[in-house]
Amino acid sequence: MLDQGKSSHFDHLVALEKGEINRAIFSDPDIYQRELKQIFARCWLFLGHRSQLPNENDFIATYMGEDPVIVTRQPGGKIGAFLNMCRHRGNRVCRADSGNQRTFTCPFHGWTYGNNGELKVVPGHTQVYHEELDMEAHGLIPVARIDDYKGMIFATFDKNAPALDEYLGDMAWYLDMALDRREGGIEFLPGVHKWRIKCNWKFPVDNFAGDSYHGPVSHGSAWESGFEGMPRRKKGYGYEGFQINAGNGHGFGARWAENEKQVYEMALPEFLDYEKARFPETRARLGDLRGMHLSPMHCSIFPNFSMLWQSGNMRVWHPRGVGETEGWSWCFVDQKASPEHRDLVRIHDLQRHGTSGTWEQDDVDNWVQSTMSSRGYVGRQVMQNLSMGINHEIEDPKSIHPDMRGRIAGFQNEINQRSLYGQWAHMMDGNGPAVPGTNA
Amino acid sequence: MSLDAIARSEMETWFSVSQFYSREARYLDELEFDKWVGLMAEDVRYWMPIVSNKIGRDVGSELTVRGELAHFEDNHESLSNRVRRLATGRAWAETPPGRTNHLISNVEIGEVEGDLVNVRSQFLIYRSHLETDQEIFSGTRLDKLRPDAITGWKIVDRTIILDHAVLTQKSLGIFF
Ligand code: FES
Ligand SMILES: [Fe+2]
Repeated sequence: MLDQGKSSHFDHLVALEKGEINRAIFSDPDIYQRELKQIFARCWLFLGHRSQLPNENDFIATYMGEDPVIVTRQPGGKIGAFLNMCRHRGNRVCRADSGNQRTFTCPFHGWTYGNNGELKVVPGHTQVYHEELDMEAHGLIPVARIDDYKGMIFATFDKNAPALDEYLGDMAWYLDMALDRREGGIEFLPGVHKWRIKCNWKFPVDNFAGDSYHGPVSHGSAWESGFEGMPRRKKGYGYEGFQINAGNGHGFGARWAENEKQVYEMALPEFLDYEKARFPETRARLGDLRGMHLSPMHCSIFPNFSMLWQSGNMRVWHPRGVGETEGWSWCFVDQKASPEHRDLVRIHDLQRHGTSGTWEQDDVDNWVQSTMSSRGYVGRQVMQNLSMGINHEIEDPKSIHPDMRGRIAGFQNEINQRSLYGQWAHMMDGNGPAVPGTNA
Repeated sequence: MSLDAIARSEMETWFSVSQFYSREARYLDELEFDKWVGLMAEDVRYWMPIVSNKIGRDVGSELTVRGELAHFEDNHESLSNRVRRLATGRAWAETPPGRTNHLISNVEIGEVEGDLVNVRSQFLIYRSHLETDQEIFSGTRLDKLRPDAITGWKIVDRTIILDHAVLTQKSLGIFF
């Protein structure tokens, strides 16, 4: 049980100065319940991309934590999000994963809501409710705030949350390397992989945030069988790359190219022609640091969004109890990409990542096993190690490049995981909402 | 052709395809993946679209289509690479390998198009992995088969429609 008398319940579980976390955070049901409240009901969570809602009255169903929500594009174009929960007995008002509807009629007793959340029809409102039911007070529960960053829709249930820009902080600026590298930005291809993994949700987030260490061992089999998946270091580089921490628990890893030639040396072979064609545009839009030097690979945005930049892959890890996670994985492409390039990205992505991914499959079993061993009484007393490179961060990031933002370390360094669990403890203690700098 | 002869040739096709499917299932269950890939035509298209829940006007468009995201979209080369990966000994999701039983049934011979015959079949696959991990996959296969002198048939086109919207299986590391 949590000790309610202390001001910090979670410091003892996360000893970041030593690079240690207590393994109980992956298996304790009380901690999980508190995560739903302190993290998933308070953070900005990724809901989807605007390209999934091209027309008025389009909707997609998703989750914020374990709460089902509907994201709607209302007449006039406004995007809203509501709990997918009838105000009568709590039935889901929408059982489809996506579609186009102006209204949602609850399948239980027929209360009908507009796609702006308003309760419009209650069968028997006059005869059986005697017109005493306050229709206005019984609309679908809206999220507290919803916003988008260059097409990426996020929402939060916390009305005191900082603005999305502030929440993303420097990560937004780095995200431009995917979202704004070409005119028109990106779009999602239709279709999403959804699957259940018997692991705690934090394992995949940790993995995507900063685990460049596992590649050669976990993914050696894919790599040597023709499923090359990431930009490779070529001999003679000054730097292998960096782990970059953007604050608030957000972080990513990137290879470093000194010049244009090295960008192409690192490019995935099937994308080389496209990379050459788009490079001048990207460099002009984003400058040298983001447009040439950094070749980003993996990333997590706190708490549960992840991305594989080069593979055109984005995902969310929905928590499903302390020991289960539902992965949702999408493929994205530059909106300006040719049909031929879209085919290449899609096939590259699905053969490596998501349900049948030759990379993903091997990750999944690792996360399951790490979760399983956190259940034993003895195992969950043991501190888990995140100490890699703890006193070896790069003191002056601007010495690498004057535009660099956030904290940085060498490519093999667990700086991003330490930041992730630091942000986790910070939120779990009830601090925040997260504001840039509070956990730097 | 007499009615009798038509019936006999349909039965022969059905018998031969059913035997072919049983052999294919055995190759998969006995981890003879090279032999399994040997049943694929050089120009094979192996595709598993994604199913999702639709209502109202959208009923009937539950599956993603060509050009959209899929669970599998493979050709001979990528299937061979998937098999090569399994042989490395470091494909951790299959190390140790899962134990599967591919049950193939409801084999229905469809139209003949040139040298191809359309076949619809259904599958129920059970997989046990490690200690107590259990997975069941159910669905439908739509095949185009070409007669082959050595293997009996070659799979030229296979569409796999898995029934699951949210997969309860930890990954799709097996073949269908
Ligand atoms: S639960 Fe929705 S109308 Fe009764
Ligand atoms: Fe991985």
